[in-house]
Amino acid sequence: MSFLKRIYRWIDVRIGAGELVEKELTGYLLPRNINVWYSMGSILLVIFTIQVATGILLLVYYVPDADKAFHSITFIMNNVPFGWLIRLCHAVGSNMMVLILFCHMLSVLFMGSYKSPRELNWLSGFTLFLLVLALSLTGYLLPWSQLSFWATTVATNSVGAIPYVGGFLVEFLRGGKLVGPATLGRFFALHVVLIPSTIAAVIGAHLFFLQRTGVSTPPFGLDDSKNRWQGEGYRYESHPGGIPFFPNYVLQDMTSIAVYFAFFLGVIFFAPHVFFPADAFVPANPFQTPDHIKPEWYFLANYQTLKIFPSEFLGLAVQGAVTAFLALLPFIDRGAEKHPLKRPLFMVCAVGGILLYLALMIWGHYS
Amino acid sequence: MSQTSATTGDGQGDFKLAKERRAFLGACLGALLAAGAGAAAYPVFRYLAPRQKADNGQKVEIPEAELTAGNAKYFEYQGKAAVLIRKKNGDLVALSAVCTHLGCVVQWQKANEQFLCPCHGGLYTADGTVISGPPPKPLEKLSFVVANGKIIVG
Repeated sequence: MSFLKRIYRWIDVRIGAGELVEKELTGYLLPRNINVWYSMGSILLVIFTIQVATGILLLVYYVPDADKAFHSITFIMNNVPFGWLIRLCHAVGSNMMVLILFCHMLSVLFMGSYKSPRELNWLSGFTLFLLVLALSLTGYLLPWSQLSFWATTVATNSVGAIPYVGGFLVEFLRGGKLVGPATLGRFFALHVVLIPSTIAAVIGAHLFFLQRTGVSTPPFGLDDSKNRWQGEGYRYESHPGGIPFFPNYVLQDMTSIAVYFAFFLGVIFFAPHVFFPADAFVPANPFQTPDHIKPEWYFLANYQTLKIFPSEFLGLAVQGAVTAFLALLPFIDRGAEKHPLKRPLFMVCAVGGILLYLALMIWGHYS
Repeated sequence: MSQTSATTGDGQGDFKLAKERRAFLGACLGALLAAGAGAAAYPVFRYLAPRQKADNGQKVEIPEAELTAGNAKYFEYQGKAAVLIRKKNGDLVALSAVCTHLGCVVQWQKANEQFLCPCHGGLYTADGTVISGPPPKPLEKLSFVVANGKIIVG
């Protein structure tokens, strides 16, 4: 018996590791028609882990003080060995997390995986999406550059359109009348402790729901792609005769993660400034607004929506309504059919919505 | 009969070949993962490694007038705490101020002209020799010269 096998046996007789491996890995069967889109969640877990690791490393040199923050970031970029790599991994990784989250959510939408009994999976996933956006927004301020300062000014200002409490909310978010050192302090605490720990907890809940309900069956390649669950009682969706999670689907997960890394590292090494406009390299100046300040790409559609409506409140209300509609989608769309091509109304709304979102994003970029 | 044996023989050969191929591919995968882990670990190690200070090997200058008889002057020398004292008889002594027991900084006792380590009560003479307590070695002596009204340590 090899040394590694002896260690495994030693652990196995104590905690029953073999039984756990059988239940959760080799004996955990997935639908035979499972596809590559089911590996998005694994990629997101890897990204979140990298974000936490690089975030902790950045904390070693970053100083959350309005007078020192920008200098500490330039010090990390220019003086600390491989500081540029750690920082770029963190900054580019945050964009990638939003991008892959979009892919994950779109695949769930098109395959009808959000439908009952998976309402809680969708709700927890949607909460994670909003939390990731909040994480990106709060992290954007921390370098204390012109870009971060004025993007935060605009973003926090839009909350002011909420009737009655808007003014108070803006001041509460900023910790003062304007974005300043107090804003940096509270955004730092939110970005480093509160939001990541909440995300970790909601990821736990998301995986728990997945584990209890079982993996959904993709609607492709089946004669009958209808949702059979009637709400009669709790049922774990098992897949007898399916493919084992380990090693079969782990190989797909690893392949997807490798492809993701190729893309991610490609951006870091060959297009490092794609997410850094010129204003990101100028320290914040509260008395000089730069020209054409724009939010990150994933907030461009929201930014343009606020601009096209005659009142800011209306723009905000429309966004709130769309967000609420998407969050509650499993409760609104009660149809049993899961195949996208057999759901014409869904297809029209989904494709139309995506095109509208992309159009607003491009319009926002060039406006 | 002979055909059956040949088939069995080939089957075993195939199985052995597959096993060898699997071991080879496993080793390749292991090597690839190890290379990836190394590629990730090296930048992290360099990022966290202590930075070499530019003042390494540089001398420290202290104006002679700053040090009156019976007093001590603490300063940083090559990244560590050091102390310069002028004894009541006028003699100058430069020492490392790091206690040889567990690394606390020794404190100058002006009245007795001794160094006391407050952590575990180690006691040294003004020249750094151990009087009592747990320190295993005397304080490290630092070389210095006095020129043009300045004490130059190093």
